[in-house]
Amino acid sequence: MSFDILFNQFLSGIARGALLFLVASGLSLTFGVLRVLNFAHGSLYMLGAFISYSIWKWLLIPVVGFYVATLLTAFIMGGIGLLIEYYILRRLYARGWPEQLLATYALILIITDIVKWFWGGEFLSIPRPKPFTGAVFLFGFPFPSYNFFIILLGLALVVFLWWLVFKTHLGDIIRAAAHDRDMVSALGIPIPWLFTWIFALGAMIAGLSGAVTAPYGAIALGMDIEIIIECFAVVVIGGMGSLPGTLLGALIVGQVYSFGIMYKPELALAFIFMVMAIVLIIRPWGIFGRPER
Amino acid sequence: MKRLAFLTVFFCVLSLLLAPLVLAQTKPTPAKEAAKVAVKTGAKDAIRLGGIWDFAGPCYMLSESAVQGMRIAVEEINAKGGVLGRKMDLIVRDTEMKVDVGARETKDLILREKVNFLIGPCSSGVALAVQVVHSESKILRVTCMANTEAQVVDKFTPYVTQVVPNTYMEAVAATRYLHKKYPNAKKFCTIAPDYEFGRREEAAFEEEIKRLVPDAEILYQAWPKPGEKDLTSFITAIMAKKPDAVHSSFFGGDLVAFTKQAAPYGFFEKIPFIALYDLPVFIALGADAPDGVMAFGRGCFFMDPNPKMMEFVAKYRKARGAYPDSWAVQAYDSVYLIKAAVEKAKSTDTDKVIKAMEGISLDSLRGKFFIRPLDHMGSVPCYQGIIAKDPNYPFKVWKDIVRVPGEEVWRSEAGVREVWKKTGVTR
Repeated sequence: MSFDILFNQFLSGIARGALLFLVASGLSLTFGVLRVLNFAHGSLYMLGAFISYSIWKWLLIPVVGFYVATLLTAFIMGGIGLLIEYYILRRLYARGWPEQLLATYALILIITDIVKWFWGGEFLSIPRPKPFTGAVFLFGFPFPSYNFFIILLGLALVVFLWWLVFKTHLGDIIRAAAHDRDMVSALGIPIPWLFTWIFALGAMIAGLSGAVTAPYGAIALGMDIEIIIECFAVVVIGGMGSLPGTLLGALIVGQVYSFGIMYKPELALAFIFMVMAIVLIIRPWGIFGRPER
Repeated sequence: MKRLAFLTVFFCVLSLLLAPLVLAQTKPTPAKEAAKVAVKTGAKDAIRLGGIWDFAGPCYMLSESAVQGMRIAVEEINAKGGVLGRKMDLIVRDTEMKVDVGARETKDLILREKVNFLIGPCSSGVALAVQVVHSESKILRVTCMANTEAQVVDKFTPYVTQVVPNTYMEAVAATRYLHKKYPNAKKFCTIAPDYEFGRREEAAFEEEIKRLVPDAEILYQAWPKPGEKDLTSFITAIMAKKPDAVHSSFFGGDLVAFTKQAAPYGFFEKIPFIALYDLPVFIALGADAPDGVMAFGRGCFFMDPNPKMMEFVAKYRKARGAYPDSWAVQAYDSVYLIKAAVEKAKSTDTDKVIKAMEGISLDSLRGKFFIRPLDHMGSVPCYQGIIAKDPNYPFKVWKDIVRVPGEEVWRSEAGVREVWKKTGVTR
């Protein structure tokens, strides 16, 4: 195997990791603070992709249409997240995880049917936006520039979330609430509102990632379940609720998958879950996670 | 925390304002439409057709087209006085693309709705489950979309007739076309969705290419799971092997994703590629559909623009406001096949109709074909062509079209018997 082939496979893995990080970071964030495993996170991502398609089609502005649609989608999904938290999740915090699981699973079914109702079963597609239509050449081998866009967006999200969680006053509250929500509440901070906003932020990230994957492949029913399983692998490997852990988990899963495909395509998916199993045996709480109290 | 509350209200208002814009853009295609399109004549002696379709996942859109095709055929037949003087009813049921639901709904169609014949489904997996149920009840099913060869070969029962090229025929025809275009190609890669359909197509490809090119080599076979959104790693892995050509049984959304992700690598300029490029893929891809790439298909209107087909296109467009895909064409042909067999048998009795069906010839939208008595496989054509622009259509279509009659590519009778020996079918 020559260097350029390996390097290219490595880049494919990075691009996949970036995509996974986009989706999984929202999942990890909501779990870290709310302690609710949101099964429907993939469905929010799917809904985001469909909504962005409709906005894009409605706007039909050349060049910037896609970016405007992506931003609007993120805001709409944020709004939907607010409503979901306020009307559904809020009632579940005090209950056990089986009820939380059932409720979020019900959300998957509801969102799937909503998508089926409004968009039908057709698969849709958005052309790649300028200037990311072509490829860039690295070591004489082409690499799709849209993949770079996704990697850059992933990096931007890492920086933004890091800044939010570690550098702002709100971040202090978030971390404190993740640590001990009773204490934070006793200090007079309205925990319910905070949770609403964290969930909305998670939904925004889901919508954003759905929107940017729209030009990547096809928008179709079933893309929710397809991604959520891998996202679970990512957060389990990296550690539930840990931002650096999610990043590391996404990169590991991306590379394992990419090189798995190269050498043993039949087992590429199995490799991911083997890594997950190994992590679970050695560190059940994930690489950067902390043990449940 | 007043600010948070204010922001909350602001967000809610914003999303409420934007929501109608989104909804205005989307056309409602409710799942319940399946029930609405059923044809009920109210006639006591009506011949009852049962549509068993998968309104879920990737099959949703295909099933919808098929039901439309069936409905147009049934309405045409009823307008001309029906079959043997009896009208036709159409009842549609949803399998949710699940094996158990498919079996249950089929049973219900037979026992409660008392259907005389069945048409469907979309998924090959569901089809094999459904087959067990209706064969037990001795009801004939015409399969026009699920095309696994197992229905008529490995797990043959007399209660199935296939009017869509099966996985073997389709792959053999596409392989011969690929070989004709690139006779010197020796090293191949394949990429296909990892389930019954993809596995069978690629197995047939391997069998046929080794017959055509004895020293052919399969360098690498990729099996992404159906619906995989990111195929980049597969694309770079294939390109690293430097194959002479790539055979793929990708279709639908998977093919859209593959095409968009492979194009920036210059994949289509470097490597000859063939896959199931048909109408829905062209509509989704728009200008991104790669000119000059090879395609195979099962009989969309642009592959066989004969007068009968174009008349159907006009009717379909009037009813649906869209172009019909090949799924609608095959479902339409299925209804007419049942009509022809019932008229020949002068009865709706299953055994008599099966007897009449064997060897029957049908003047279909895809030209003439006949049903082989041995395995009930229709000699339906396979099509291949090259992707190209056409000023007549708002999407890309094919040029240099080749129509391969089914009898040129299907498994020989001796070949079928050989498989039967292995699977224990006696006939």
